Amino acid sequence: MAAEAVGAWFLEIAETTGAMTVLLAKVLARLVPPRVDARELVKNLYKMGVRSLPIVAVTALFTGAIMVIQAATIVKRYGAEGLLGWGAGFGTLREIAPLLTALMISGRVGANNTAELGTMVVTEQLDALRVLAIDPISFLVAPRFIAIVSTLFMMTLFADALALLGAAYTGDALLGVSPTTFYNGLTSGLLNFGDVATGLVKSVVFGLVIALTSCHFGLATKGGAPGVGRAVNATVMASAAGIFVLDYLTSFALGD
Amino acid sequence: MIQFKNIVKSFGPKPVLNDVSFDVPTGSVFFIIGASGVGKSVLIKHLVGLLYRDSGEIWLDDEDISKFDESRMGAIRKKCAMVFQHSTLFDSMTCAENVALPLRKHKHLSLREALAEARERLKVVRMQEFADRYPPEMGDGMRKRVAIARALTVDPKYVLFDEPTTSLDPVSARRVDALIRELSDKLGVTSIVVSHDLTSLFAIADRIVMLYRGKVRLQGSRADFKSTEDGVVQQFIHGRATGPFEL
Repeated sequence: MAAEAVGAWFLEIAETTGAMTVLLAKVLARLVPPRVDARELVKNLYKMGVRSLPIVAVTALFTGAIMVIQAATIVKRYGAEGLLGWGAGFGTLREIAPLLTALMISGRVGANNTAELGTMVVTEQLDALRVLAIDPISFLVAPRFIAIVSTLFMMTLFADALALLGAAYTGDALLGVSPTTFYNGLTSGLLNFGDVATGLVKSVVFGLVIALTSCHFGLATKGGAPGVGRAVNATVMASAAGIFVLDYLTSFALGD
Repeated sequence: MIQFKNIVKSFGPKPVLNDVSFDVPTGSVFFIIGASGVGKSVLIKHLVGLLYRDSGEIWLDDEDISKFDESRMGAIRKKCAMVFQHSTLFDSMTCAENVALPLRKHKHLSLREALAEARERLKVVRMQEFADRYPPEMGDGMRKRVAIARALTVDPKYVLFDEPTTSLDPVSARRVDALIRELSDKLGVTSIVVSHDLTSLFAIADRIVMLYRGKVRLQGSRADFKSTEDGVVQQFIHGRATGPFEL
């Protein structure tokens, strides 16, 4: 019985991965030449990007501050105030900003995207679109896909800046490290463009994970309102797991 | 002309349609009746590629569309529109935007032009006052009329109505009936109506087919149905609780 359950679990994972790959191929096929509804794209960029700004801003500012609080004891003990900018910048740019932004966007945007698509599926709105001879991938899925990936990239840049701002002013308030000293530490040469790029590459990878999982589970929704609930749950779980696994693999691949 | 030839369809081990054949004359109001779950909606969904038959042929204007894939169904869907049982308007769009969407996509109108045209189309179904309302803010009958306006934007030759009067009050139901009749009389549109609304049936149907246990039980005119001696048909059209009709 246990072997059967494990087998069924593997089959389900293989089926989901296969379906996501097919969905990715369908979306990519609509990008060259572009067959994406521009109006839906703008609408989704606003809904997913602009309206995520407040929550990302709060998360980023406090994340920067928390990093300084955690480092405060060691910095004071060793008098390493000059390295505070480097320490906060290294962790923030390479890891913390892309990871936390992805988790915030997954919760806010990914779950919402699945719920919307899932509701459209169970209320036959998606079938209605097909019957109107409108391709649901070009009209609904591709714009959401592009909007999620672009949102995560831009929000990570925004979060990088705000987290460093939060760290700089917390360093000033808690440790007496002036923003100028913090900035000098940040630009002393220990950090380079590669550290920023690593975080941004991760943001694109995480964006793809959120876009794929949220669109796939939304489109695969079955069974009315409880089915929508299950789909949202599956998206949140799969996105979080995918983000951490791919974070590990990307960190390993981009190393250094 | 639409022709169903020997259609067989099962869902898993459960057979739903078993060797169903009939013709739908051009320009007519054609009713498909039968008990709930007999496969009426399943049958019409084959016409727009939402379902595919196990065997048999579906001919639409001299083409066997039963083997068409998703890419070839696009042209058929512009010719053959469908109004779903629950209207299926897009909740995130106003009524005017719902009607404007196919105009933007298929007639390549700008958003402004499409919205202006949509308002004109809403007048036809007497819904122009509700153009800026969102579907969840309206009743079933109003949503259904907007859905009809949306379906007609592609200037279809055939319109499929899935339970168009179910859950409507009697006045709204008769308005929808009148609209379906007008489509046929004024525009020459062929309407296929899946329904068990007997008032609609005897008011507007030109031809009727009754499905019973996966097969065609009787096809003919309203007079044929009224005069038949088939006990199953008589029990169904008179809505009697007892008789030979088995669910």
